Amino acid sequence: MNATRVRELLEGLRAAGEVLRRRPAAQTLEALAQVLDAWSDPDGPWQKALCEALPRATGFHPETVRAGLAAGLAPYRGESLLRLVAEEIGGPEALDAGRASGFDVTAVVLAGAVPMPTLVAAIASLALRSPLVLKPASADPVTPSLVARSLASADPELGAAVATADLERGDDDALDALVQADCVVANGSDSAVSALAARLPAARRFVPYGHRFSVAVLGPEAGRGPALAAAAAGLARDVSFWDQLGCLSPIAVYAAGRPLADAFSESLAEALEQAQERWPRGAVDAAAAAQVANERGEAEMRAAAGRPVRVFAPGSGAGWTVVLESDAAPRPAPLHRFVRVHPCEGVDGCLAALRPARRHLAAVALAGFGSGTDAVARDLARLGASRVCLPGELQTPPLAWRRDNRGVLLPLVRGCDFEL
Amino acid sequence: MSADPARAALDARVLAWMREPDWREDDERFDALARALWAFQVEHCEPYARFCGARLSGASPRSWREIPAVPTGAFKELALRSFPESRQVHTFRTSGTSTARRGELHLDTLALYEASLLPTFRRFVLPDLPAGRRMRLRVLAPSPSEAPDSSLSHMFGCALDALGDAGSGFDVRDGRLDLDGLLGSLETTCEQGEPVALCGTAFAWVHLLEELERREVRLALPAGSRVMETGGFKGRARERSADRRYAEIEAALGIPPARVVNQYGMTELGSQFYDSVLRDRAGPRRKQGPPWARVRVIDPETGRDTAPGAVGAISIVDLANTGSVLALQTADLGRRVGDGFEVLGRAEGAEARGCSIAADAMLAS
Repeated sequence: MNATRVRELLEGLRAAGEVLRRRPAAQTLEALAQVLDAWSDPDGPWQKALCEALPRATGFHPETVRAGLAAGLAPYRGESLLRLVAEEIGGPEALDAGRASGFDVTAVVLAGAVPMPTLVAAIASLALRSPLVLKPASADPVTPSLVARSLASADPELGAAVATADLERGDDDALDALVQADCVVANGSDSAVSALAARLPAARRFVPYGHRFSVAVLGPEAGRGPALAAAAAGLARDVSFWDQLGCLSPIAVYAAGRPLADAFSESLAEALEQAQERWPRGAVDAAAAAQVANERGEAEMRAAAGRPVRVFAPGSGAGWTVVLESDAAPRPAPLHRFVRVHPCEGVDGCLAALRPARRHLAAVALAGFGSGTDAVARDLARLGASRVCLPGELQTPPLAWRRDNRGVLLPLVRGCDFEL
Repeated sequence: MSADPARAALDARVLAWMREPDWREDDERFDALARALWAFQVEHCEPYARFCGARLSGASPRSWREIPAVPTGAFKELALRSFPESRQVHTFRTSGTSTARRGELHLDTLALYEASLLPTFRRFVLPDLPAGRRMRLRVLAPSPSEAPDSSLSHMFGCALDALGDAGSGFDVRDGRLDLDGLLGSLETTCEQGEPVALCGTAFAWVHLLEELERREVRLALPAGSRVMETGGFKGRARERSADRRYAEIEAALGIPPARVVNQYGMTELGSQFYDSVLRDRAGPRRKQGPPWARVRVIDPETGRDTAPGAVGAISIVDLANTGSVLALQTADLGRRVGDGFEVLGRAEGAEARGCSIAADAMLAS
């Protein structure tokens, strides 16, 4: 799509937005709630369509996609949206009264191969009656158009307020036309987001979502009895869904004490092997496979040099890797089901290890702190985490998850206080 | 030379090969030497022995292709020596591209390094230089005295001593490109009509080209001039940027892309590989190296060789690495091209499919 076509598209969307704003906000929210209910149904048409299309487009294994979608979309219910609108902006009345409104048109630049953020982006923008254009990620060319179709089938006027824009890579004119939208939401690497920010005209709302990663923090009680296997099974699920490529995918485990790290790494390896059977890892390109092989080899060399490092991996193939490290020093994360387990000196050691990376922290799976759990969760929140949950729940955030500590609708809202 | 007789004998066999005037691919000779060197190294380098023990389940490799390759990243944390530390005479360090740590290659002799680099440099960069003649070499890198731990500077120093004429020299001083000095040298070569070989890192070339453009300087270097650049593989956009750089080199200096030779080497390796362009003008641009170093392009998941043209990870067995480990797994992707290979860039693909953090961004955060 070239620059001229993008400009025409934005004009068409602005007109569609006017139609939406003439309707009561509740009517739009009701339609969106229906769309969400349809998406959250594993037997519904949209999950089925995505299960069909996504593996071909992304290389994810079909069974992993099916399980990931069923789990990830389950919390996205219509009633969750209505509650979210009430909590963040005071309900549809605030929209009808003009105290809260969306922008005339919103552009969303998508990234990565995990489909849920695409659906949330569309629902959030339209809930504010802001029409939007979705620029698909190269890794996922199918979800945006499917989301657009689901909206159109529920409500043609909503369908007219959403479009997709496939821009040629390197077509700067088209990109400059796209960022003429009144609000620009950018997903991607920190450098990609910064590069997009630099293109923005003055006085535009910019909502950046750069690099984020998630971790697990385990306290002593996570190693006792059945808690160990439960935490490992939960984390294996968190790692395996979306092959560890999402920002809610844990890349490392910080364990309070070496004995816990020892026990947990073994347990996690077993759980990842079982997870691999249920939810096989998808295709990996040569670059990613080489990175995994190199990091695994480097860990093997550290172990060979006498450091207390252990490498767990399947007997054949490269479906998953667990590296029990000797310390909490940060190391590269090759993703694709590669987890490092770092022993730390108690909870303070875990927090200290995370501090250097705090600006990139998304969510933390927390277990094993017993009555101290709330205090550790508070510390993690202060550090910058936007979610603290149990192992096994990282990939199923509620619709209202305040991604990047910001809220779902609020970053897209134009607010106005009437003081008459 | 090493005090260890077994090592001295191995060094002598490898050096003898390096000193033969004619290069012949000799599978049997390479395989025998590689396995003998491997046996020596696992006896003298304990971490490598344990690494190989785990990878081979205690067995010995049946061919050089089965020799376990150490990831180059391991040189950042471990001193991989196959000799007693007390015999160390030199250390080369990497420029530290991905973490604050720098990879280190420890050496108890420079003899193999130098014996490998000279015939290879000459064969691929100066194939037309008559025996006994020297050529003007200008180097866009610091001298060995300024950068004693840079293997690249050492290599250029050896090349200058052995092959450079009186007007040859280094054009980076105190960490800066001495453009005035370089332009003076180049103007002299133009006046004399003598060809020059301009050598440097891809990074230095970018800097030089920017400066030439800023000063609006364009030169037509004498026929027979050539460019040797090294590095430039750290981004996925390499190919496009190399094409652009080569076009800019032609515009600024009058040296066509067909006379630009890219070198592929690394601190951890004793030998280097070069573009074939000056030796084979008709064939495709591909990397080639000396017969005592072999390159495999492998599927990282299976360790098996990829089909010709398919992308894989570059793995190298280099007999010049007698004092460290001979088999290295690089962080680079490549593919086989005819009797050579092509380097495609660093293995940094994880970021492309996810919003999770890329390998090094977390370390830098």
